[in-house]
Amino acid sequence: MKKKMLKKFIPFMVCASFFVSGCQQTGQNAAADQAMKVESVVKAQGNVYKGKVAGVSNKAKTISITVGKGDAAKTMMVKFNDQTKGMEHAAKGEAAIIKYEVIGTDKIAVEVKPKLAKLPEGTTEVDTEYLANLVSQGTEKGNYFLVDSRPGSRFHEGTIPTSVSIPVPKIKGEGALAVLPKDKNIQLVFYCGGPT
Amino acid sequence: MSPESAGLAVKAGYTNVKVYLKGVPAWKKSGRNVVASTKHVKDGNIVLVDLRPTSEYKQGHIPRAYSVPLEDMEDLEDDLPASMAAPVVLYGTGDDKAYKFVKKLGYKTTSIYQGGVDAWVASGNQLSTDAAPEEITWKRILGKGEVTVAAFNKVADGEAPGGVILDVRTKDEAAEGMFDNAIHVPLDELQAKMNEIPKDKEVMIHCSTGARAEMAYKELKAAGFNAYYLVADVECDEDGCETAEE
Repeated sequence: MKKKMLKKFIPFMVCASFFVSGCQQTGQNAAADQAMKVESVVKAQGNVYKGKVAGVSNKAKTISITVGKGDAAKTMMVKFNDQTKGMEHAAKGEAAIIKYEVIGTDKIAVEVKPKLAKLPEGTTEVDTEYLANLVSQGTEKGNYFLVDSRPGSRFHEGTIPTSVSIPVPKIKGEGALAVLPKDKNIQLVFYCGGPT
Repeated sequence: MSPESAGLAVKAGYTNVKVYLKGVPAWKKSGRNVVASTKHVKDGNIVLVDLRPTSEYKQGHIPRAYSVPLEDMEDLEDDLPASMAAPVVLYGTGDDKAYKFVKKLGYKTTSIYQGGVDAWVASGNQLSTDAAPEEITWKRILGKGEVTVAAFNKVADGEAPGGVILDVRTKDEAAEGMFDNAIHVPLDELQAKMNEIPKDKEVMIHCSTGARAEMAYKELKAAGFNAYYLVADVECDEDGCETAEE
């Protein structure tokens, strides 16, 4: 009995801890592996859109999803029905993978899954309580460096107290050593828009 | 985004790297506040509220700030803009309490300006002694592809021959009433019926709030249409439709 429970729970926990959108562009090999796995599933089972959900209309039973990046980004539309699985993951702003089938001129969503992100090797995840405790101590006493990885505009309009704004393009462009503290043993905490 | 940055830190030799994966949404959901930057208080399209007693406000306040002393906090319910998209920034003693109150009213991007007037002065800015504005006025800055209610109405009233109204509501909704001369294509039939929409006109898309109109806008834009969408409450009956700004 116990064994059975555990077997059921482990995959769930693994999924839950990696579930995150808005933080999904890790560029890590692990993530690429994951993507490749998804890709091969796609070929076997049909059509898939991967990207950020741009809108959901319950009245029109339609999901629009933005696929591709930058200038190549396109918004695609799929319909959903009562048989569509995982509609809780079809929320505006969330990264999702929509598996659909083509019926006539319509694309009907079969299943919506959250797009997964993996923690890079050598890092650990912290929860809200942990971070709140740090923030209440202040940067000096807590001896930490809190990084808001979102675009600058988001930082300005509302950030977690004591954060420093270092958008992803900045750390990539200037290098970690140029934008992070000199002390390599200081506790660094990174965050972004998370799942909405 | 953040896992990528954290990965770069590990590669650069940092030994204690953590990621708060759930990020800002979880932080806000736990009831904790977020803080606005001085730049945002200075230049942002915000509603800035000074919570200090009127006497302190008069001695000097951050420019553009409205005066709503903490003890009159409940007044904010009537005074704040109708649109829940209005970003409310609060400062002064009790900002924490007021933050919770304003969040509860439903304002989505509420924040605190930590340190208030002291932080403002410390970053090299001047205080103002102007009298408090009587009413809170705030105007939403239109998103990309959004049309103003005024410009939309011009097309709806037939005063702009270069434009056409596209109604993307359901059949049932449209049956209750439509704008004169509007084209009706429900959002879910848009792909199949694109040929019913003129390519040589400015297509003004509406639904009942703006959510479906925005989805249709993206779809039509991608297909090369000259499209715009309306974010407003649209109510229709047999006499036609009325629009009210959000």
